[in-house]
Amino acid sequence: MSASVIEVESVIVAFGGLRALDSVSVAMGSNRITGLIGPNGSGKSTLVNAISGQIPATAGTIRVDGRDVTRMRSDRIVQLGLARTFQTPRFPPQLTVEEIVAVPLIYGRGAGLFLPGLRTAADVAGFCGLGTRRLVTCQNLTVTEMRRLEIARALACGPSVLLLDEVMAGLSHADSIEVMELIREVKRAGVTVVIIEHLMRVITSLCDDLIVLNNGKLLAHGSPSVVLADDAVREAYLGKGFKV
Amino acid sequence: MDLSVVGQTLLLALTIAGLYAAIASGLTLEFGVMRIVNFAHGEFVMLGAFITYFLETRYGLNPLFGAAVSGVAMLTLSWLVYDTFLWRILREDEHNQILATLGLSILIVNLAMILWGPDARVMHAPDLLPPLRLGAITIPGNNTVIFIVGVLLVAGLVFFMKQTRYGLLLRLASDDATLAAYTGVNVNAMFRLSFIIGGFTAGVSGGLVALVLYVHPLVGTDLVIRAFAIVALGGLGSIGGSLIGAAILSAAESLVGTFVPGGGSWGYGIAFLLIVIVLAVRPLGLFGSEQRS
Amino acid sequence: MKRWLAPVLPYLAIIGLTAGIVIADRPFWIQLMIGICITAVLALAWDMLSRTGQVSLGMAAFFGIGTYTTALVDPVAGAVAAWTAVVLVCAVAAILLGLLTLRLRHMYFAIATLGFSLSLQVLVTAFPDITGGAGGVAPALLAGGEPRWQLVAISGLLLLATATSDILLTRRFRPAFFMIRSKSELAAASGVPVVRSKIMAFILSGIYAGLAGACYGGLYGYVVPGDVFNSNWSIMPLAIAILGGMDTTAGPLLGAFVLRALEELARAWIGGIGYQVVYGAVIIAFVLALPRGLIGFVTKLVRRDTKGDAHPRLQEGRVKS
Repeated sequence: MSASVIEVESVIVAFGGLRALDSVSVAMGSNRITGLIGPNGSGKSTLVNAISGQIPATAGTIRVDGRDVTRMRSDRIVQLGLARTFQTPRFPPQLTVEEIVAVPLIYGRGAGLFLPGLRTAADVAGFCGLGTRRLVTCQNLTVTEMRRLEIARALACGPSVLLLDEVMAGLSHADSIEVMELIREVKRAGVTVVIIEHLMRVITSLCDDLIVLNNGKLLAHGSPSVVLADDAVREAYLGKGFKV
Repeated sequence: MDLSVVGQTLLLALTIAGLYAAIASGLTLEFGVMRIVNFAHGEFVMLGAFITYFLETRYGLNPLFGAAVSGVAMLTLSWLVYDTFLWRILREDEHNQILATLGLSILIVNLAMILWGPDARVMHAPDLLPPLRLGAITIPGNNTVIFIVGVLLVAGLVFFMKQTRYGLLLRLASDDATLAAYTGVNVNAMFRLSFIIGGFTAGVSGGLVALVLYVHPLVGTDLVIRAFAIVALGGLGSIGGSLIGAAILSAAESLVGTFVPGGGSWGYGIAFLLIVIVLAVRPLGLFGSEQRS
Repeated sequence: MKRWLAPVLPYLAIIGLTAGIVIADRPFWIQLMIGICITAVLALAWDMLSRTGQVSLGMAAFFGIGTYTTALVDPVAGAVAAWTAVVLVCAVAAILLGLLTLRLRHMYFAIATLGFSLSLQVLVTAFPDITGGAGGVAPALLAGGEPRWQLVAISGLLLLATATSDILLTRRFRPAFFMIRSKSELAAASGVPVVRSKIMAFILSGIYAGLAGACYGGLYGYVVPGDVFNSNWSIMPLAIAILGGMDTTAGPLLGAFVLRALEELARAWIGGIGYQVVYGAVIIAFVLALPRGLIGFVTKLVRRDTKGDAHPRLQEGRVKS
């Protein structure tokens, strides 16, 4: 069993009376692609936000690589080697692809660490398929290009742990295949990947492990074939009595 | 400390709060629907005040009717402003929007200075209502009037937004203009509607101003700054919240002004200090909710 | 335009104009240039802050703090101490206000800063024993009261402000600041220390505004609260920076020149009362005709010559709050 690189212990995230995460305990293995799935509102994004420091956990502990990051500021967590993507990154319209990717290179801990050959913003942009669009401003990018840019930005942080928040949404079939290959390459370089996803074919072809959340609680954790066959999981997604 | 003096101060403050709230609610409506901070709102109040003032002093028109005329006049002016240039500004960058309404404000204030001079005028209108006597406390009749009219304006606005068809359309347009447009709502018309309603309330409020305050070109700027503070205190998007914000601001101002020696002009500043602190603790105002996208 | 010329042009212009006016030694031009420089420093200070998404309506506060600090420290500890005090006091005030307003979004932030500057005006008037109250105060005289040297000193301040603005537009700061403005979580998730950056921008902005105020107070050695804690000093930098072209160094500079010149013309034409009506009309006209400011307009002209941009669509995207 590989070492756990992210350890979530009894984490509660409460907004007023609502518990977005209700005492969740789960660990994510090193250098594996872990899928984080569950119906809408199950707490997937909240968990990612809590791990990456965007939202403070109300209770519980979160450890990354053994370090307690529970109430750490998100920019410091980036320094520790954890990066994430946003579903709706609002890039400043007048900045170019290169300028955006350069920011983590300047403020983070350096891209070359886990992905050899990626040293400059141009390298990272090229790795993510934006080589020819380096000098284009964000207001002139297509939605797909902005998705790639967000991945590039996260990779530029030089992470040993990468959290991807629904990067496939809205991509064409061809593009999603390219992005999946990108993710596999990132994993081959030694990075631990956690990916929030809805698309079944992505989950089944990409993920080594699956974590299922429902209503802020952990529902299942294990290999995709086991988890997806689980009745409770099917019920959460498809409703009682649905026979596949 | 003489309780009746406190009582007098607070009740008077409450009446002024009615006026403040009426002004602030117009701002809130405009911001809520169009997402624009209308720095010129106060100038519409000021123009309304001048109109009511002139109608009363030159033609003896009852200030209540004068306020209504001011309301209609400002409604018309708002329509004009919207159709000539404001609709274009709404498509601009945020900063250009701020600048545009600031420019409009500067334009109107200075035009007023040129036309009517900077001096303060007082409208010597008769009491529209007899003074209210509660024990040792006396509330002048006109103060009662502005309180009633002010609260009616705010209540009317809330009713309009919650209970009428146009109010619903306005709320749709404010929530998500793009989505509203896709469902067939004429968003431009809704924006215009909110602006002219805002103008109307500003005009009527101006009439109230003429009733109890000095009338001069800068009166609008003074008031709109307080209106901003009230909107911030009450929380953006909450028209009803502006009543509470207005009460707090007015009470703070009056209490400091009455009880701190030489504190006549303090109240303004202390009230603002309060706001900075409230916003530091509650960044969305006392009743503010997360802004919609 | 040659690539190397554009960045250096502002400095050359400032130095050249100052030198020319000092040599010519005509009081009108000296006073005009002094006014332009002070306004330009304020505009740059405002712009530096707004790049992090902090749209301030409180420049007047720091302007006044600068004036009053020299007035209070100079008689006690001398000129050097006075000017050092300006920097320190403004920095501290900026840190305090910055921390207080950290979580505020656009409109609330603007109101809070506006409120801060209005409160200061009132508080200063309220403690006449310390601050001289409504009667005013005597700031340290700048450059011994000699107008030409005053202009040189103020030009020097403008050059510093220009350089600072340029530094903040380099690769290390500009994209990070814009990211903070667009979506601060994105900046933080890229390793940018958001709070530290915002406060740093606030401190720089406050210091320059304070120094400008100290210079202004030092022109004649006497001011009353209404001279410096006047909301005009908050609105003008905003207007100038936006009209000249935000997020640039040349924009606030150009805006200061053009608008102050227009203001003087209007004052001559309309007289003392209400001349600012031209100001208002110009602002509206500019916003409609030149949405990206003077610099945006000039850049467009230059681009058309050199066919640089492949995308003719130059409409600025909406900056989300």
